[in-house]
Parts: sequence; C-alpha cells; structure tokens
Amino acid sequence: MGRDDAVGTVKPTSPAAARGAQTELSLAIAGVRAAIVMRDATLADIVRQRYKGFLSGGKPRWRIALDVDTVVPPAVPGDVVVRRDGHPARLAVERGDFSAILDLDRRCGRVALNAPNEFSIDSFLRIACTLALLDVPGLVVHAASLIRGDKAYLFCGRSGAGKTTLTRLSPDATLLSDELSIVTMSNGHARCHGTPFWGELARAGEDRCAPLHAVFFLHHGGRHTVEAVRPGDALKQLLSTVLFFAREPELTARVLGIASNLVESVPCFDLHFRPDAGFWELVDHV
Amino acid sequence: MSDRYVVRNPETAWRVYDGQAVILLAGDSTLNTLNAVGTYIWREADGTTSVSAIVARVCEEFEVEPAQAERDSADFIDKLCQRGLLMVTESPQERR
Repeated sequence: MGRDDAVGTVKPTSPAAARGAQTELSLAIAGVRAAIVMRDATLADIVRQRYKGFLSGGKPRWRIALDVDTVVPPAVPGDVVVRRDGHPARLAVERGDFSAILDLDRRCGRVALNAPNEFSIDSFLRIACTLALLDVPGLVVHAASLIRGDKAYLFCGRSGAGKTTLTRLSPDATLLSDELSIVTMSNGHARCHGTPFWGELARAGEDRCAPLHAVFFLHHGGRHTVEAVRPGDALKQLLSTVLFFAREPELTARVLGIASNLVESVPCFDLHFRPDAGFWELVDHV
Repeated sequence: MSDRYVVRNPETAWRVYDGQAVILLAGDSTLNTLNAVGTYIWREADGTTSVSAIVARVCEEFEVEPAQAERDSADFIDKLCQRGLLMVTESPQERR
C-alpha cells in the first residue's frame, strides 16, 4: 500500500552527507507519522521494502535521522536501555546494535545503527513507538490483533501463548498483527491499529484500525472457554504484556494511566483455547 | 520510642480496583498488588501520618486486635520497604 508521494529525494545538506543523496520516507504507524531521513542508500532500501504497507504522505509529526555508524559503542547485547539524557523529555535509547536519542517534546531523534540491518531498524522502531504513543495516548502490547466485521479484537500473551497460531486460524479476519499490537484511547474509546511488527507469521499487519471490542488474555487449554476478568486483574495481565522500557516515573505513570483507561473501557476476558478455529464461536458472542 | 512515618516512593504509579492496589515501580517495572489491609496502609502512607496512627485506624477499620495489627503492619511495612515501594522516616514530611 506504499504510495509514491511518500518518497522524496533531496540534496545532501552537509559535507557528511557525501555518501549520497538524502532520502526521506514518511512512515505512519497508528496515525503517528514520522519522516525517516537517511543518507545510506542500503538503509533507505530496507525501510522502503520492510515498511511499504505503512508509507504514507502527509505532514510528519516526528522527524528521525537514521544512519549507519560502525563506531557506535555496543551496549550489553540484547538488553535495551532507555534513560533520561539531560532534559526530562530527551531519552537515550541503546541496544547492542544501535544507539539513539529521542526528544519527546520536539518530536525528533537520531539513530546510529552498527550496520544497515532490518532487525535493528525494526527493534528501534518498536521502542520508539512505545514512547511516541504516550502523547496520543496509546500503548504497544504483546498481542495479536484482528478485525472481524467492523470490530477489532486483541489477544494478549507473551511468546508461546499462541498469538501466531490464533491468527493462522483466522483467515477470514483482517490481520493487524500477530506479535505487537497498538491500542489508542480517545474520549474513553479504544481503537486497535495495524502494525508492521510481526512474529512467527513473518507478515505485516494491514494499515487499518477499528474500535476495540474486547481484550482476551491467551491461555492454552483442552477446550475453548471464555471468562470475564475484572478490571484490576485485567490491568495486571495487561501490564505484563505492555512493551515499555523507559524507567522514568512520569512515563511509567502515563503507561499505567493508559492501561487503566483501557481495561475500564473495554471488556476483558481470559480465553483458554485449543488450536482450532472454534474459539471464534465464543469470541463472536462476548 | 519515637514514632515513625511511612511515605510512598514517588517513583511508583498505582491504581486501586475492588479495594486492591496495583502498584508499578518505575525503577524496575515490577508489579505489586496489595490486599485490602495492605491497600489501606498504602493509601495512608502519606508521610505525615504516623505508623501508630495508621495502626490504630487499621484496628478500627478491620476489627483487628491492636497487638496483632501492630505486628502485621510492621511486617508489611518492612516488606514494602525492602521492595522499594515505601520509605520510613523519623519525622513527618511537609504537606505539599
């Protein structure tokens, strides 16, 4: 669903840009539009291909400079560190394969990748989404999500909970994600959005959104059962699946606030299911 | 022995559902939930109310014997201090 008007090429703006023309791609996830600015042609190709379903026109709210810098000091491999960098709204984001600075007030950032690697870019974008969505307000959740009819359904669970299995059993539903879903809140109403972040399915969701009808917490079972969960218990289960790395008290309070609004606005259920499509008979009737 | 005061760690975010507090500690993102008595103490831990006053209120609210309330409250406060959720001071904090 990529559109040509989202892709522009401009002249380099500094001597450091001597490697080639600067490419700017406009990427919109859950309505948060960011201009991704790159000087590295390989990097631009990766972003153009990997996120083609989420490239869009329109004025970006964010501006992110993405570059390759092989001298980036590696953090502990696999660990994500998000810490305040001087100003309260300025955050340093580090992982073994990239280092970034994000300014939540000015809505801009720059990222240095150790190599033009698709997984590194994706990891950065996942983390950046968790921070950029706070203002919306919205959350990134370890969850599969699908649209059936005009309603979105969120199926929360950590690795191995059955998120991808569930999406494979739902060929007639619109895939929003089999791994990381986004929920936004507006005036007490929740909406679920498609994301380019995939799991074992290795397929991006559709760039669509719909009112969130119900939240399910996934559990393996011998038969399909659905049981309502009270908001307090739902909040605990939801928080255990929310993707968030910043350890800042003010940001943590905002995450808790958004999650609370979500469980108070949308009915939540424990879903025990076995791997067949019969669970939809229960889900459709909640 | 001088009285003590307990105050919630400002790095926590919390909500109460059905009389049970759900507490998120920013420093390590740990999630804690408290029972009804624990939630009552948590709400009262404003840094200006003494531990003895809190214990007295627990006795009234939950119809518990003072000796048991004092013992249980002390254990509870110690546990929450170890988890970094509460802090104990020797003097009351100024009201904000």
